Amino acid sequence: MGNKVVTFTEQQLEDYQDCTFFTRKEILRVFKRFREVNPELVPKRMTENQAHTIVVPVEEIEKLPELKENPFKRRICEVFSHDGSGNLTFEDFLDMMSVFSEAAPRDIKAWYAFRIYDLDDDMFIGREDLLEATRLLTKGELHPHERDEIVASVLDEADVDGDGRLSFMDFEHVVVRAPDFLSTFHIRI
Amino acid sequence: MEDDMEGIELKPASMRRTFTLRNNVARQAAVNFMPSRKVAHTGTLRSRRANSEHNALLEASMSDAPDAADKQADIIVREMEQHHQLMEDNPLSEELRREALRDLPQGLTMKRNVRAKLSASVSLRSKQRPISVFKRMKYRISFTWKKSRDSFRDFVFSIELWYESIRNIEGHLGSAVGSYFHLLRWLFGLNLLLSILLISFVVVPQALHTGGTNGTSGISFLDFISGTGALEDTPLLYGHYHDGDTGAGPLRYDMAFAYFFTMGCAYLLFFGVLCYRTADSYRRHFIEPAGGGGGGGGGGVRARLAAKLFCGWDFGVASPRAAALAARALAHEFRELLNEQNRKTEAASFWVRLGRRSTNVVITTIVLGLIFGVQYGLWLLLSVDTFTDHREIYISLIITAVAAVCPILLNFIVKLEFYEARTAFYVTLARTWLLDIGTLILLLVFWTRSDMPCWENRVGQEGYRLVMLDIPVSLLLLPAIEFIRGLMFNFNVVKTAPEFNIAYNSLTLIYNQSVLWFGMLFSPLLVVAVTIKFLLLFYVKRESALRACQTGKKVWRAAQAQTVLLMLVTLSLFATLFALGSLFLRSPSPHCGPFRRYASALGVLAEGALRLPERAGLRRALLFVSRPGAVAFALLALCVSVYIVRARSGAQQSMARLLRRMLQLQAKDKDFLLSAIEKVSNGEWLYSPKSEEYGADSHTWKYLHEVRKPSNAGYHFDVSRLSHSFLERPRSYAKENRPNSYQTDKQKSNEDGDTDSSFSWQGSSSYLNQTDAEKR
Repeated sequence: MGNKVVTFTEQQLEDYQDCTFFTRKEILRVFKRFREVNPELVPKRMTENQAHTIVVPVEEIEKLPELKENPFKRRICEVFSHDGSGNLTFEDFLDMMSVFSEAAPRDIKAWYAFRIYDLDDDMFIGREDLLEATRLLTKGELHPHERDEIVASVLDEADVDGDGRLSFMDFEHVVVRAPDFLSTFHIRI
Repeated sequence: MEDDMEGIELKPASMRRTFTLRNNVARQAAVNFMPSRKVAHTGTLRSRRANSEHNALLEASMSDAPDAADKQADIIVREMEQHHQLMEDNPLSEELRREALRDLPQGLTMKRNVRAKLSASVSLRSKQRPISVFKRMKYRISFTWKKSRDSFRDFVFSIELWYESIRNIEGHLGSAVGSYFHLLRWLFGLNLLLSILLISFVVVPQALHTGGTNGTSGISFLDFISGTGALEDTPLLYGHYHDGDTGAGPLRYDMAFAYFFTMGCAYLLFFGVLCYRTADSYRRHFIEPAGGGGGGGGGGVRARLAAKLFCGWDFGVASPRAAALAARALAHEFRELLNEQNRKTEAASFWVRLGRRSTNVVITTIVLGLIFGVQYGLWLLLSVDTFTDHREIYISLIITAVAAVCPILLNFIVKLEFYEARTAFYVTLARTWLLDIGTLILLLVFWTRSDMPCWENRVGQEGYRLVMLDIPVSLLLLPAIEFIRGLMFNFNVVKTAPEFNIAYNSLTLIYNQSVLWFGMLFSPLLVVAVTIKFLLLFYVKRESALRACQTGKKVWRAAQAQTVLLMLVTLSLFATLFALGSLFLRSPSPHCGPFRRYASALGVLAEGALRLPERAGLRRALLFVSRPGAVAFALLALCVSVYIVRARSGAQQSMARLLRRMLQLQAKDKDFLLSAIEKVSNGEWLYSPKSEEYGADSHTWKYLHEVRKPSNAGYHFDVSRLSHSFLERPRSYAKENRPNSYQTDKQKSNEDGDTDSSFSWQGSSSYLNQTDAEKR
């Protein structure tokens, strides 16, 4: 006969179900993971506006096992945070997990993948972005001239409008042709 | 302004961004008024998302003002309001709104704002029109269907069997291995459902009927494995089942009906689910990535490089060791791709290619011959009558050994041939599958042809034996080998760590499942045995994967391989249904089993359920439909329609390619026009392509720079200006504001030059003839 702590109101849960690709149970599971990051900071009740006011700093989010080994973890946090700094509220975190979930459609994932790979945040994936991405992906194992070659080939192949950098349309064009995109751009929570 | 354009690459990113966006705001204003934005979309709003300028605008207005978020939400809501279908007040529009909300690439807080505003707006506008009864019913049906599907999904999800374990495995070994475990879990779930179905409808009534009459004499170990002896008269086998009515008191439960219909439902249900899942997987992984396999040649390597750069990192990897390995594997593959690109591959000459093709054909024939040889040998073994005791066990042992060893052998053989890596893999899969299915069909045919009484029992026993004898191989032997290799790797005896061989393990799964299907009709409890086996298999494989194996060097194309495996599973079921249907259903089984009273197993349907002898009309209709002519005609029609659909899809694919190319060109056009609009709005009135493209003495250049001067606002050109009134126009204003890039560094040539015949106004030549001094 204990008093069960109600984490979210019904209205909140319905809102979240409508705006993300999660079911009720998955939302609660995501909340559990979020709370595990910093149990003192994140309260058990989120019925008022704690869901979008309480902010967990980016260093702690990066320690999550799902993100810890990801080469783009800092950029992912920046993309999904409300102010671009990387500190996430619960709603940002839920959004992130929803985009990475299995039910998210291909074009949503492509959009967010584009923003993640756009490391300098100028709405284009330029040459420096690609070089940095290659370096992060292989953890520095490739020689610089190999990286240059790779980046040159990729730009050659993907840059359709010829301006030396990839716009979203170019990127989507590449990603749509890759059948593995859906299965690799996927974090299971 | 000009310096900004040149120095843009050197500026820091933030300034670059602001610059782009400042211009974009002007662009966006132009873009918003385009007619294409006003059209109501009939489909979902997904196509809107591709417009990055739109999103750029939204990012641009992200300032520190407290109501910036509110303003953004207002912008979004205003856009959505333009689509009338979204704003109605019925359940269908609600679904559309929900979909549109989910597809918005905005943060969750923003989406909640938008949702609140949208519902407020909708309720403001809703005109409560009375909906017709028909529409209301349609809404209700589609709504309840969606709701039930959602709640079913919730329910299935809440079961969550082994969820954490699979996640753990994925973190360590990658999502490809995870997909194997997902397949295992899915098959286990389906088998569990099947066994519950069969037990409750078939086994339990039978057990109640027999009521434990004769106590079981001790079952020896050999009997337990081979299903003979004391086990023959148990619900395990077909022969045991009563053929008439069972049931206590007034309740009548016809065993034959129950058996037939339960089995029929089980098979058809499984078949339907499998077909659906295979088709869905095929669509997602083969059709949607347009041009899935990728072409060969230089463009192919580059496309693969790009795909590897963007899709190469598996985001599910969670352990440091796996991440290091994955990074190394990725670097290795990048190097390979670069080598492939740099290597000048000469196209093989005609003779070499012919040689390769013929080698492939020869080896394929040899392999097929081998497979047939194995089957023939099996047939002989079965028919030979020497050393009768425990003969069955030996035969089943041989079959199991062959099924276990053949994939490795075939893998080796395919290396001798000249296939690409992925084609080689699919070829091996196909051959192994052929071997397995051939064996099973052979067994069925043999026992059907033999004149033994109660041959159905034999088939059931075969199935049971195969499953039992496979247990030591797959549950004990193989994991032991993997463990030992893992230990040897840890103590540096062997160089390479054992990899989790996804192909081999998946083939084991498919083999077990095929055996189950062949045997299920004749041995209902086989389902239970296979279910338990899969349960144990999961735990054993999990341990072996986590402790002994490591990620492989080659990245496994999980998505497409999964589709192929699912397809093989579906094909097995199809072959089973075909074999069973043609061999068993038509023939009588007078000696044992629940269909003793009927002329054939189908007789249950014909005489029992439909009562055909009494309904002559129905019987004649059914006879007509099942005549060979009618069936052949139906098959032909099916083939023709499949061909038509394929041809149409091929045409649509090439159309899509054309349209995509057109889209790209249109995007470039639009970009060009928009930047022209920007420039015009910034006071630069000159239409100017890059001046370097035109030589100094080309007529176009002259035309542009001398006839159409900047101050002309070039587009409304009338000839009357040219001759005299031109001199009075205030030119100084335009000249001072003309940006530098358009200032010609080239000399203005004074020669008249022959104007092109296309520029036929004579007025221009008079102007061109003026001297420089007069022009200034």
